[in-house]
Amino acid sequence: MDTLKDVFDFRDFSKAERIGLLLFSIFLFVFPWLGTGSFVKAVMIQFLLFSLFGMGWNTIGGYGGQVELGKAQYVGIGAYTVALMMVWWKIPFWVSMPIGVLIALGYSFIIGYPLFRLKGHYFAIATICTSLVLQDIFINWKLVGAAKGIELPIHEHPDFLYMQFKSDNYYFYFIMVLFFAGLFYMNWFRKSKLGYQLRMIKDDEEAAESLGIDARWCKIKAYSIASAFVAVGGGFLAVYNLYIDPYSVMDLDLSIKIALMSMLGGAASMWGPIIGAAFLVPLDRFLGSWLGGQRGLIGVDFMIYSALIMIVSAYQPRGIWGIVEQLRRRGK
Amino acid sequence: MIILDGLLQGILMGLLFALVALGLTIIFGVMDIVNFAHGEFLMIGMYTAYWTSLLLHIDPLITLPACVIVGMLLGLASYYWLVKYLIRGPMIAQLFGTFGLMLFLRYLAQFLFGTDYRIIQKGLLVGKSLSVGPFIIDWTKLSTAILSLLAFILVYYLLHRTKLGKALRATALNKEAAAYMGIRTERMNALAWAIGGGTVGIAGGLLVNFWYVYPTIGLVFVMIAFASVAMGGFGSIKGAFFAGVLIGMIEMLFPVFGHLIGWDFLGPHFKFTVVYFAYFIIVVLRPQGLFGWTR
Repeated sequence: MDTLKDVFDFRDFSKAERIGLLLFSIFLFVFPWLGTGSFVKAVMIQFLLFSLFGMGWNTIGGYGGQVELGKAQYVGIGAYTVALMMVWWKIPFWVSMPIGVLIALGYSFIIGYPLFRLKGHYFAIATICTSLVLQDIFINWKLVGAAKGIELPIHEHPDFLYMQFKSDNYYFYFIMVLFFAGLFYMNWFRKSKLGYQLRMIKDDEEAAESLGIDARWCKIKAYSIASAFVAVGGGFLAVYNLYIDPYSVMDLDLSIKIALMSMLGGAASMWGPIIGAAFLVPLDRFLGSWLGGQRGLIGVDFMIYSALIMIVSAYQPRGIWGIVEQLRRRGK
Repeated sequence: MIILDGLLQGILMGLLFALVALGLTIIFGVMDIVNFAHGEFLMIGMYTAYWTSLLLHIDPLITLPACVIVGMLLGLASYYWLVKYLIRGPMIAQLFGTFGLMLFLRYLAQFLFGTDYRIIQKGLLVGKSLSVGPFIIDWTKLSTAILSLLAFILVYYLLHRTKLGKALRATALNKEAAAYMGIRTERMNALAWAIGGGTVGIAGGLLVNFWYVYPTIGLVFVMIAFASVAMGGFGSIKGAFFAGVLIGMIEMLFPVFGHLIGWDFLGPHFKFTVVYFAYFIIVVLRPQGLFGWTR
C-alpha cells in the first residue's frame, strides 16, 4: 500500500511544479483535438518517446551518475523482437513487446555484470563498444534482414492486437500512456531504496560500500531498469515506423541523443529528461525540415545543434533544470 | 604464408592506429579528458592533405607540415575555446562537450566539402608497391609506418628527455603540485592539445594516401583509438604504441583466421567488431590496461 502511495504522491514537489505537471497532462490529453498538422503530431510522438527513453536513462545515468552511452542497443532489441516475431510467427504486439523487454533485461544483466567492473571513461567507452558490436552483428546477420532492415507487414484494417492504426492519434495516446506509466514509475523510483542507494553511490562510492551497499549490484539493477524502459520504447518504434534497420534503431547517435537530452534538461531530476526532450526534439526536427531541405545547407542544422551542445556543456552542465533551481534559490 | 602477410599488413596498419591513439593518450594523460573529436581531427588532417595537394599541385608528402600545423591549430582552438571551460564541469559534461565538437566538425566538413568519397590519386608513392620476396607492400603504407614510428620516437624524446616534457609529465601526475613548482599548467594543457592535434594531423595526411576521406570517417578511427588507448592504459604512450600495433594485427588477422577455419561469415566486415570486443574483454579483465599506471 505504501508503494502505491509513493507512486502517486507528488506532494514533495513545489506547488508550481505540481500545477505545471497538471497543465501539461491536460495539454497532452487534449492535444490530438487541437487540429495540428501531422508533422507537429509526429514531433509530439517523438517527444514523448524520447522522454520515455530519457527517464530510463536517468535511472542509471542521472541518479546513478554513470555515463552510459549504449542505450541504443536496447532500443534495437525491443524493436527487433517485436518486428521479427510479427514477421515470422505473426505474434501480436502485446505478446512480443513484453518478451522484448524480458530479452533486454536478460541481456542487460549479462552485459552489465562485466560492464560494472569498470568506472569513469572506461565504462563510458565500453558501453559504446557493446552497442557497436551488437549493431555490427545486426548489420551483417542475413536472417534478421542485415543492413536492409525489416519491414513489418501492413494490415489493411486497423488492428489493435498488432498496433496498426490509420491515424496517428492512437499512437499518440498509446505512447502517452507509456509516458505516464514511466513518469509514475520514476516518481516511485526516486523515493525507493534503490534510488537513495544510487544517489549515495554517485556522491561517494567508497562511503556507500562501507555502509554495506553493494554498489555494483545496485548499478546493474538500475542499468536493467533503464534497459527495460528503452526496450518498451523500441517496441513502440517498430510498430510506429513499420520499418526498422540497424542504422535507425541501434545507431550511436541515438544513444548519444538519449543521454544528451536527459543531461540538457538536467540529470538526476524528475523533470530533466522531459524538459530536455521538449527542447531538443522539436529543435532537431524543425531545424532539420527548415534548413535540411534547402540546397547547399546540408548539415547546418546539425552544426547549430552541436554548437548548442557545446555551449550547454561548457556553461551549465547541470542543464536547464539546474538553471531553474539556481534562480529559485536566488529568489528565496 | 597468408598469416605472415596478414601479420605484416597488420603491423603497418597498426602503426597508423598507434599514431592516431598517441594524441588521444597524451591529452588524456595530461588532462584526464576523453576527446571524442579526435577522429574528426584526423578527418580534417586528411582533407588538408587532399586539398593542398590538389589545389597547389604538390606531392601529398610535402603537404605533411601543413597537416601538422592545421592539426595543432585545431587542438589549440579546441582547448582555448571549449575544453578550458569544460574541465570545470563534471565528467559527463566533458564527454558531451567534446562530442558536440565532434558533431560540429563533422557537419562543418559535410557542409564545406559534401559527402563525396575522396582519395589522393597521384603522388610520388601512390599506387606503387614494393615486393620483398613473396610479400607485396604498398609504398604509401610503408612510408606511413616509418613516419609514424619517427613521430613516436620524437614525442617520446620530447616527453622523457626535455625539460618541457618533464613539466608536461609533472602536470599529468599532479596538477596542483606542478603549479606550486612554478609550472604553468594551463600552458601545459594547451601544449598537450597542440601535440595531440599535430600528431593526428600528420596521421590524417598520411592516411589519405590510401584511404578514402569523407565527413563521417572519424568514428571508425576514434573507436579504434579509444580501444588502443584503453588497451594500453589511459595516458601511457608506450601502451598506445603496442596496443595500436596489436589492434592492427587483430584487425588484419581476424578475417584470415575466419577463412582458415572455414567460418567465412566472420569476414572482413567484422574486423572492427572484433576490435571493440577485444577492448571490452581487455578492460574487464585488466581495467588498468596492459601498460597502465595506477593512480
